[in-house]
Amino acid sequence: MGEETDMRELESLGGAGSLSPQEARLGALAQGLPDPLAGRNKRAEALIAGSRGKKPVIDVERALYFTRSMAATEGQPLVLRWAKALRHVAENVSVYCQGDQLLLGRVGKPGRHGILYPELDGDFLGQAVASLPGRAGSPADVSPGDVRLVVGEIAPYWKGRTYHEALSLALPPDVHALTYDDPWGLVSRFIVNETSSFRSSIQWVHDYEKVLRGGFGAIYEEAGRKLGALDPHGVLDQTEKRPFYEAVRIVCQAIAHWARRHADLAEARAAEETDPARRGELARMAAIARRVPWEGARDFREALQSQWFTQLFSRLEQKTGTIVSNGRMDQYLYPFYERDLAAGRIDPEGALELLGCMWVGLYEFVDLYISPAGGAFNEGYAHWEAVTIGGQRPDGTDATNGLSHLFLRSKREFPLHYPDLAARVHARSPRSFLMDVAETIKDGSGFPKLINDEEVVPLYVKKGAEFSEALDYAVSGCTEARMPNRDTYTSGGAYVNFAAALEMALRDGKTLRTGDAALGPRTGDARGFESFDDLWEAYEAQHLNLLRAAFVQQYHVNKLRARHFAQPMGSALHDLAFGHGVDLHQERVPGGLDFGYVEFIGFATVVDSLSALKKLVFEDRRLTMAQVMEALDHDFVGHEAVRALLKSAPAYGNDDPYADSIAKRLDRLSVEFCQKYSKDLGINNDIRYVPFTSHVPFGKVVSATPNGRVAWFPLSDGTSPSQGADVNSPTAILMSNFNSKNNDLSARAARMLNVKFTPGCLRGDAGTGRLVDFIRAFVDLKLWHVQFNVINQETLLRAQSDPDSYRDLIVRIAGYSAYFTDLSRDLQNDLIARTNHGSV
Amino acid sequence: MAACDHGPQGGTPGPPLGDGPRGLVFNVQGFSVHDGPGIRTMVFMKGCPLRCRWCSNPESQSPLPEPALNPGRCLGLGKCGLCLPACPAISAGPGDLPSLDRRVCRECPDALAKAVPRCGQACPARALVVHGRPMGAAGAIAAVERDSVFQARSGGGLTLTGGEPLAQGAFALALLGLARSARVGAAMETSGQAPYGLLREAAARLDFLLYDLKSADPAKHLEYVGAGPETIMGNLISVCRDFPDLPVTVRTPVVPGFNDDRASAEAIGYFLREVPGVSHEALPYHAMGAQKYAFLGRTYEMGDVALGDGALEAFRETVATARRPGKAARQAAARRAANVRDVGD
Repeated sequence: MGEETDMRELESLGGAGSLSPQEARLGALAQGLPDPLAGRNKRAEALIAGSRGKKPVIDVERALYFTRSMAATEGQPLVLRWAKALRHVAENVSVYCQGDQLLLGRVGKPGRHGILYPELDGDFLGQAVASLPGRAGSPADVSPGDVRLVVGEIAPYWKGRTYHEALSLALPPDVHALTYDDPWGLVSRFIVNETSSFRSSIQWVHDYEKVLRGGFGAIYEEAGRKLGALDPHGVLDQTEKRPFYEAVRIVCQAIAHWARRHADLAEARAAEETDPARRGELARMAAIARRVPWEGARDFREALQSQWFTQLFSRLEQKTGTIVSNGRMDQYLYPFYERDLAAGRIDPEGALELLGCMWVGLYEFVDLYISPAGGAFNEGYAHWEAVTIGGQRPDGTDATNGLSHLFLRSKREFPLHYPDLAARVHARSPRSFLMDVAETIKDGSGFPKLINDEEVVPLYVKKGAEFSEALDYAVSGCTEARMPNRDTYTSGGAYVNFAAALEMALRDGKTLRTGDAALGPRTGDARGFESFDDLWEAYEAQHLNLLRAAFVQQYHVNKLRARHFAQPMGSALHDLAFGHGVDLHQERVPGGLDFGYVEFIGFATVVDSLSALKKLVFEDRRLTMAQVMEALDHDFVGHEAVRALLKSAPAYGNDDPYADSIAKRLDRLSVEFCQKYSKDLGINNDIRYVPFTSHVPFGKVVSATPNGRVAWFPLSDGTSPSQGADVNSPTAILMSNFNSKNNDLSARAARMLNVKFTPGCLRGDAGTGRLVDFIRAFVDLKLWHVQFNVINQETLLRAQSDPDSYRDLIVRIAGYSAYFTDLSRDLQNDLIARTNHGSV
Repeated sequence: MAACDHGPQGGTPGPPLGDGPRGLVFNVQGFSVHDGPGIRTMVFMKGCPLRCRWCSNPESQSPLPEPALNPGRCLGLGKCGLCLPACPAISAGPGDLPSLDRRVCRECPDALAKAVPRCGQACPARALVVHGRPMGAAGAIAAVERDSVFQARSGGGLTLTGGEPLAQGAFALALLGLARSARVGAAMETSGQAPYGLLREAAARLDFLLYDLKSADPAKHLEYVGAGPETIMGNLISVCRDFPDLPVTVRTPVVPGFNDDRASAEAIGYFLREVPGVSHEALPYHAMGAQKYAFLGRTYEMGDVALGDGALEAFRETVATARRPGKAARQAAARRAANVRDVGD
């Protein structure tokens, strides 16, 4: 219902002043008008013109050479085999020198491309690759010749050797049944989903500064000294540390060799080039690639090329969840930028052009998930090589600098949804920075996402970090914070479907989808519950059972991974791993902090369901449990009034103590479990709320829920309210989020939160100021993460009906940004269903 | 919106009433960014002495709780029908929808006692809602304080609005008094149609005043608003004189056929020159409230008029620049007239 202000807001929706710049741009394009961003990034535009909107291709070279080498080195220490495999890859994969690119290096064919990691999923790679081109969500093309290589050579070697098969065999039957839908573990159950088999490392950030400072040459030398200092009679020194340092030396040479192959190619191109300007560029590129990353960088351009080679080689080394992040770019690049500016070697435009070249590279790589579960987790080829800006220095002073602002400008002007820009904010973030951040958010693509120092830093100190390390964290992947020389835990955690726990609590341990076989404890049929306490008791039993299964799963994950994965380059860049001669994939790295997590999926779905039953069945007695179960069994068909009553109950996201107190109790139940049993695992296995897009597939296994959600519809995401349940204001969403946290406990981790605004409510400088106020309050409340969607619902609906005109429409879902039209219809509908906050 | 408040739709009970005066409130709404400085929480109070034809909050006008029926949200009697037993005023109407006999509603003992009528709780789909529910001043301030972290950061606070907040004078003063003692910044949006003594008492407790001035033309004002502008204009002069440090923003909705002509804008501009220090905002007319009239069983009398292109900007410009011919100008004109006479003589 509209009041004065609301009315004005609605009325102005049609006017140009209330469109976000992104919407205005797409509207102009749909009408055949010129692109207002055209010409800002000429080089990047030319580079992406060829691949835009096309299906990505699969490049099998990495998988092929990796496999051939691994087959030839069986029996040797794993870390050494990995290094040799990388060397074989570095020597043999195709290298490219593309169009007008200023940066050298890519890991696959021209255009959008993905690569394969058969060590993860080689057991079903053969069948999966053949079906990828026609997959409904995130399809990809692969040539018939490459299919033959995969089916005939790559997949057969890995059959029986993959981590995935080992895990499936290791899990006890009850945990296996909650994890997988079939005996071989090929299909996920989406109840206690394991994620450790579709990426060998969770999101990660390297200490890139180390590479820029001394290059891989310095690391190679240091590894030599380490080898020389080994005790010649020490068993561990000779059997464990020697192969580690040898592997480090091999991989340092491998990446330098690979870079020099690029230099050779660029030189050859320069020799053929007729355009003198391009010939000059190529010659310079060749000279840089001949130097870095083996040696330290001397200027901004060398630094960027060195970083780019490093992150690319990291992709060849292993599959990192969401792809390896970029770290605090405005910090480690700033000395180079400042020097170059002062010396007149670069200007902001030149730096922007170089950054644009890197963003094109990020865009062209797709995060290919072969397994159906992996694909469903990360729809839209989503990846998040987070670029961190802002925040504090290790001494606690504000870290914002000229580059922080330049990254924001790059974000506003670059036409694609890369990079994944993350701004660290804290109590003393300068207003100039926050205003610039707010202006960028208002542009409509939702960037940058915000991570709150005031929550992350004290929590990490409590968990064992030094202040100087915690203050220097980098955003990693979607919402994580990493200390690149202190974090040592690389295993993917369990994603737990607590909406399924709720369904089991109502159905005596069963779910409608899985039928008569009970998956959880027999807690009785809901029709027998006489009080909310009865319901809670049943729910708690199911909830704890899933958490137990998640921990058991993680126990086996931790034991198995060290035997299947190694990362000599990642370890070489890590102070602790390198110092102790231990690969990061080993279960223990001395001095390391192990931050694992259990993912809570369906938070608001469960909270709102419990709230509705408490209110309507056990307090107001307007419904009986029998009526509710009857309605749920029929997916509310013929029971519309029951559904409407359930939906009228207090819901999370409205700053309503009735619902928020249930949310807090639920959070507490989970965090206390983790606090108690993390000790058994020897890691911090904390509660996290970051679903990516997995709340969609998780919803597909849960029948109708008492919050009025229909069967198979997406669950709520992260700590955001249920779709459409937040009927109050965006301030109430933040307050509910705060209310549902247990700040006295520490076994907690990232909490993802989405807030949507219509552009009209943030218009003008006054609107920017209000957004800054809102961000300041978010900092004060010590919430972990927030990101904004500044978009009109009408725009989404138009994009759904006319996808061709809206191919470039960027939306943010669950911690990342993707093209709206790349998403499945389910996810599109989910976005549309969420409440749109105008200036109510 | 804060606390257990589910707003104008009814639903769960509001915050505890607490001691002190009670009033009828039809909405409490957070993150208001266009009605006073900073991020504010609006408390919408029932009752208004005026009847502006374009009013976009018609549910605010009556001083009593009032049912509204939105057929678009109704599940249909075949699927639901939970409203039928709630009150004899509700019966099965055409199109599978309930029908509300407002003659019965006018006699509703609950509404007359300013309590929430039963029909307000019956409808699960919130198709049938009751606008207006009793609230204690302490409870209302507690609801506003739930957003204190946002208010503190933005210099925001409470905005009392309506309806006409001064139509519930004692309640409004109690709210503003509590806001002051709770250090909650207080703004009020008023039509100015109230006894000056009341406005003065309120202004003494305000940090910011939003003051509506629809027209300076007595005849038009009477015709479209239901009362002349004299009290409103007089009160504005008085309040600016008595509270020279209180920031005042005068707002005028620019309504087609009513005040979108140059003369109306000029008249407002001339008047504003007499109250120096106030700022002025012109707000564009919209018909977004039209639907709500139907829900209340009323007719929206504005029809489908719309503001012409540039009308709003022209209005703003005229108000800002209008100068009544001053003394010097009048003397010059008189001299010119005299000269003409001289020559003629």
